[in-house]
Amino acid sequence: MHITPDTLIIFQWGPVSLNGTILFTWCVMILMVVGSWLITRNLSTETHLSQWQNLLEVLVTGMRDEIRDISSQDPGRYLSFVGTLFLFIAVSNVLSIVPGYKPPTGSFSTTAALALCVFVAVPLYGISQKGISYFKQYIEPSVFMLPFNIIGEISRTFAMAVRLFGNIMSGTVIAAILLSIAPLIFPVLMQVLGLLIGLIQAYIFAILAMVYIAAATRVQHPK
Amino acid sequence: MLIDWFTVIAQIINFLVLVYLLKRFLYGPIIRAMDEREKKIALSLEGAREKKDEADLEAKDYRRKNREFDERREELFSQIREEVEVRRKNLIDEARDQVDTGRTKWYEAIRKEKETFLQDLRWRAGKQTCVISRRALKDMADVDLENQIIHVFIEKLRSLNDDELKELKESIRQSPQKISVRSAFEVPKKMAGEIIEVLRNQASSNVDVRFEISPDLICGIELKFSGRRISWNVADYLETLEESLLAALESKAEKAADRLSDK
Repeated sequence: MHITPDTLIIFQWGPVSLNGTILFTWCVMILMVVGSWLITRNLSTETHLSQWQNLLEVLVTGMRDEIRDISSQDPGRYLSFVGTLFLFIAVSNVLSIVPGYKPPTGSFSTTAALALCVFVAVPLYGISQKGISYFKQYIEPSVFMLPFNIIGEISRTFAMAVRLFGNIMSGTVIAAILLSIAPLIFPVLMQVLGLLIGLIQAYIFAILAMVYIAAATRVQHPK
Repeated sequence: MLIDWFTVIAQIINFLVLVYLLKRFLYGPIIRAMDEREKKIALSLEGAREKKDEADLEAKDYRRKNREFDERREELFSQIREEVEVRRKNLIDEARDQVDTGRTKWYEAIRKEKETFLQDLRWRAGKQTCVISRRALKDMADVDLENQIIHVFIEKLRSLNDDELKELKESIRQSPQKISVRSAFEVPKKMAGEIIEVLRNQASSNVDVRFEISPDLICGIELKFSGRRISWNVADYLETLEESLLAALESKAEKAADRLSDK
């Protein structure tokens, strides 16, 4: 049994290995991109919409509203990053009901990669919004707080990665354990719970990322 | 080992590629479509608002026109009512005038007819009286009517009063040839000579008397001088008959007129 899809090696060429995480990530990416392309190639600008277009519009509008609520800013520049985080994690987790599929978010490598992306994106957004003065928040309220602030940044990134990995991995493991103890009905309920947890974790991850970015980009008004 | 750094890097790249692709195929088109739809909806709302404003204006204008039309109609109706009233009065007046004119003409025609009738009656009655008198005189006294008339006339001439005599003389003096004796019949020469003789005696001068026959005198004879007349004829006797006939005719005519006006 593979706790994480990283251990599912499909192809190995020196240090380059095509494992289950990357493969399933590609599957999710293809599914999302092709699905999006199929739906958005014939978009209607009239008041009558197709159901799929309506679904995507509801998703995009919901994400924009959420970002606007959190950041109190125009959601346009954050939507691609935060929205993709949410959609990728959500789709990856929801697809776990497909037999044989292992969610890439159940790999600590994936969650660490996403957390690293957030870790890099936060200062990038901060600098693009506030310039060099962004770094001033690391020495506030005093310069002695600089190491603690840096530790805080790193630890919250680590926490994000572990939180997502732990939740998804535990879901997979619990399902596997229950399957061996009580193979009928009960694992189905746990699977449903796993879907719910997967969606909640996607939401939490995206919201946390947005909160960090919003904190970095928020303009401090002089008191 | 839980973390595989190659996978981490690959996943970072994968994630960034996914960000790009979703931006290209999902967020961009969807947001563009939504913006476009919002614009269209805003445009159609704007259009609807404009049309509503236009419709409001039209409705206002229509209401104003309707009100004006009502006022104008009322005005026209009252004008027409007045005109009709005036026209009705005019027509009634005209009709009344026509009736009055017709009645006047009718009265005039009746009057003329009455006059003609009376004239005719007088003439016929005179004639008839003459005929009867002539026959009666002839039968009973063997006297000629004309001769008797002339005798009566001569007697009248002889018995002229002073004023008449004075006027006769004055008239003869001014124009001796203008003395004329008119009669309904031819005066016999003997009688004519007698009349001339009486006139000469009365006027104490030579008189030129001209005798004329005038059938309208109806069995009579007259002498005219300076507006005065000395005569004898049946017409005088017939006047009484005429008056009574006239009274009877008038009462009949009045009854007929009343019946006509009642109708």
